[in-house]
Amino acid sequence: MRPLPRLTAPPRRRVRALAAVAMAAALLATSACGGDSGGGGGDSAGEEVTLRFNWWGSDTRHKITQQVIDSFQKENPNIKVKGEFGEWAGYWDKLATTVAANDAPDVIQMDEKYLREYADRGALLDLKKAEGLDTAKFEPDTLGAGEFDGGLYGLNAGINAFTIVANPAVFKAAGVAIPDDTTWTWDDYARISAEISRKLNGKGWGTAAYGANDASLNMWARQRGESLFTEDGKLGVSKDKLAEFYTNLLALQASKATPSPEFTSQDMTAPLDQNGMATGKLAMAFSWSNQLNALSKASGQQLKLLRLPSVTGKASENGAYYKGSMFWSISSRSKHPKEAAKFVNYLANSAAAGNLLLAERGVPPNTEIRAAVTPKLQPADAASAAFIQAIAKELGKPSPPPPVGGGQVEKIIQRYTTEVLFGRLSPADAAQKFIDEINGELK
Amino acid sequence: MTTETLPRSVPATRATTPVWRRVRPALTHVALAAAAVVMLYPVIWMVVSSLRPGNEIFREPGILVRDLRIENYRLGWNALTEPFTRYLLNSAAVVLGAIVGNLVSCSMAAYAFARLNFTGKKFWFAIMLVTIMLPIHVVIVPQYILFSQAGWINTFLPLIVPKLLATDAFFVFLMVQFIRGIPRELDEAARIDGCGKGGVFLRVILPLMVPALATTTIFTFIWTWNDFFSQLIYLTDPKMYTVPVALRAFVDATASTSWGSLFAMSVVSLVPVFLAFLLGQRFLIKGIATTGIK
Amino acid sequence: MSALSALGTLGRKKPPGQKKDNVAAYLFLTPWLLGLFVITIGPMIASLYLAFTDYNLIQAPQWTGLENFTRMLSDERLHNSLKVTFTYVLVSVPIQLAVALLLAVVLDRGVRGMAFYRSVFYLPSLLGSSVAIAILWKQIFGTDGLLNQLITPLGFAGKGWISDPSTALGTLVVLNVWTFGAPMVIFLAGLRQIPAMYYEAASVDGAGPLRRFFSITMPLLTPIIFFNLVLQIIHAFQSFTQAFVVSGGTGGPSDSTMFYTLYLYDRGFGNFDMGYASAMAWFLLVIIGVFTAANFVASKYWVFYDD
Repeated sequence: MRPLPRLTAPPRRRVRALAAVAMAAALLATSACGGDSGGGGGDSAGEEVTLRFNWWGSDTRHKITQQVIDSFQKENPNIKVKGEFGEWAGYWDKLATTVAANDAPDVIQMDEKYLREYADRGALLDLKKAEGLDTAKFEPDTLGAGEFDGGLYGLNAGINAFTIVANPAVFKAAGVAIPDDTTWTWDDYARISAEISRKLNGKGWGTAAYGANDASLNMWARQRGESLFTEDGKLGVSKDKLAEFYTNLLALQASKATPSPEFTSQDMTAPLDQNGMATGKLAMAFSWSNQLNALSKASGQQLKLLRLPSVTGKASENGAYYKGSMFWSISSRSKHPKEAAKFVNYLANSAAAGNLLLAERGVPPNTEIRAAVTPKLQPADAASAAFIQAIAKELGKPSPPPPVGGGQVEKIIQRYTTEVLFGRLSPADAAQKFIDEINGELK
Repeated sequence: MTTETLPRSVPATRATTPVWRRVRPALTHVALAAAAVVMLYPVIWMVVSSLRPGNEIFREPGILVRDLRIENYRLGWNALTEPFTRYLLNSAAVVLGAIVGNLVSCSMAAYAFARLNFTGKKFWFAIMLVTIMLPIHVVIVPQYILFSQAGWINTFLPLIVPKLLATDAFFVFLMVQFIRGIPRELDEAARIDGCGKGGVFLRVILPLMVPALATTTIFTFIWTWNDFFSQLIYLTDPKMYTVPVALRAFVDATASTSWGSLFAMSVVSLVPVFLAFLLGQRFLIKGIATTGIK
Repeated sequence: MSALSALGTLGRKKPPGQKKDNVAAYLFLTPWLLGLFVITIGPMIASLYLAFTDYNLIQAPQWTGLENFTRMLSDERLHNSLKVTFTYVLVSVPIQLAVALLLAVVLDRGVRGMAFYRSVFYLPSLLGSSVAIAILWKQIFGTDGLLNQLITPLGFAGKGWISDPSTALGTLVVLNVWTFGAPMVIFLAGLRQIPAMYYEAASVDGAGPLRRFFSITMPLLTPIIFFNLVLQIIHAFQSFTQAFVVSGGTGGPSDSTMFYTLYLYDRGFGNFDMGYASAMAWFLLVIIGVFTAANFVASKYWVFYDD
């Protein structure tokens, strides 16, 4: 390369330096928390206010949610709500980018995985302080899922419980009776699964492998006096319990209760309506209660929800808890927090919204809405609502949401489950590595 | 310049038997047709899937169909909050802007790099290559901040203006390589005829790099049409969504997805790019070889 | 060498004089320079700055000096992603380019129905990063996939090609090779630009088709081969979408398809560690830069320019 003539160099360097300073300044300015939100306030009645509202989901959700927006706008003519929607992965990229640019939507559909990630860094409003948001009709167990550090950062938008989904048609084909889920143990579960696989003789299997998400490990830990994460945001599961979790999984695989490792690894990342339960290959699979409807539709069968087995054979000791299928959050930098709270209140507590949304985002947590809506639900949604109601007396204490950096735990556990199933790591080694890695991720 | 087509094939001088000369094209065709089947399979599969009832797609592998239904197309067209026509028009607007931008700005920069002799040429060329090398994911946030401060969010400007300013260095490099393949004698001939730098560019270089311009047009069309990430980030109002953003909005990995509608609309969105390719490829052929320059 | 001596009549003369066209050149470069300074350089420098910070996208970046880079030294998943990426680049790029060149040369000869074949061969590349690809790939390489249905009757044991960590990367190499449309089109355009007079001169000299290929087509196509090589290497190093779509964003099974950029994205957007992701990006830039520079140096020995 030819050396640059002396004279031209300094100006160019100056331009570049300026550009760098400008960028850095912009980043600093936009990243400063709280900041300039105080200005508008928007209490001057009559003035039109525009809210931005973000959610992820599929086409049905987009349409229903838009109807809710329309009905809200009819009742509140001076609040305009602009809906923005997208698919899961892109949704989070976009949310992160807009938050970074101080351009976040006012009302955000939030997931447990990222709740603390945003809340702990000051991006979300404490809903306890939000004016006009009523949570009186929510049970403490359902509120608890979005509550930490003394604040409420996500309002439960639908109740979920971790369950086993059973396909009665596959049970029937194998000539095995569906077990009594209020008394069964892990040994029963292993025995029944292996029996189904044996009787189906390669045409299907008794159960999907667990370990495809963090909930299965959390339930395993909760049944044994531990939990995946502690209240103060630490890893709560010990190496022994984790190794036991994997040893038991290997035993299930050895007895052919679960499919081949290749099948399991494929099943883990398959979209819900393409997994082994949806395609009718499995008698049982681990799933969230609100997915019953989608799975039933995909499999063309009326599927059934079962409680998870326990160590003691007592359903009240199986570690069950209410999780938020998703949450409503408000950006801490919203210029119109009052209107945003009003809208969230409408989503959560109005009969009109309840009647439109039904169980699209999970069983409504507002007990009144739930009672009003239940008769209108489709059979599968009604079944999951009934299940949620049935386990209400058996719940353990709420499970704390994953701490900052804990949102990645699902991908990590999938990876170690794959390693163990393919025999690339022993349960003990996987347990140690898992613990080291999670501790490295937590901040 | 004449536009007479010159025969490409030159009489073979190697001694070949008549049988071989008749068998060889047949063999070529058999091989090409076999390859074509492999290449076509996915598209056939997609079209077939778009004609199946949603939940049958994954239970029935292969491409045999028993009952065909076109209702996926009807449902898919209106599945989102806007009719699909809207997304097609939005995409068309972005694509058009991007093509014009890339053709004008990249060819100008490429001409300077390939033919003009100026201070700092190697330095700028290196800088241009470096801009291709940084993964988009780390510049997207600063870039978003930049465009958001300019008030350009939810407009097509962040998708089109960068193309007008030749930020797609890939095409600059592509055109440089093509221009360097054009004999310099032709520039000099034009210069002797009294053309300046601009004249050489317009009268000699541009006509002779039609294949490169066609390539740029085709690629810009296809890549912009399929580009998901930047369109997702910059377009917020569903009325502004483009085809790839709309298509992904069908998918919900945690619940049920209308796969039938998704496939139907994927097929619909393939049609414009395929047509663009069919039309564009004609211009790929119009190189020096067929303009008959001697 | 008489075919090549025909080229000699064109010669490789130096441009007349050493006069500079600074004014004209910078006028032609104006749009590009504007874009560079207004749109490209700023964000690039910002990302360079962020590489030395702890930046979680929500709070202001904190200067941490070289910490991100020292962390990279002991990050096993990063090392694994480098291994995966290098394997992918070194295997898939040569195969893809060879296939693209071969088909371009075959299609460039007046084969009947050439326009049809050309379009068909380009079709897979049109599908791009569509979600359909992910599903299609599972239909072909999954446990119940098409491939297994084809090979099990032949006595081979089928397997979950996509879900087995030892073969998953292979399916992505196949996917990349299968979308050879872009380099093929560029080769075709390049072939079309070779002046017919060279072939005429060669045939007068009595050169056969192979001879013509190696003494005219290949040398005159070298700038385009070079372009494809440089760009496909850069492209393969940055490969993201295909692995993202096929693995559902996880880079799985067991990180076996965790490309470097996929891991970078996972750190930046999944783990809110944009500082670390920026450091990774600049490290990748250095790697790609070294490969590209090596390519340019080597090109002096094999790329033939007509200027």
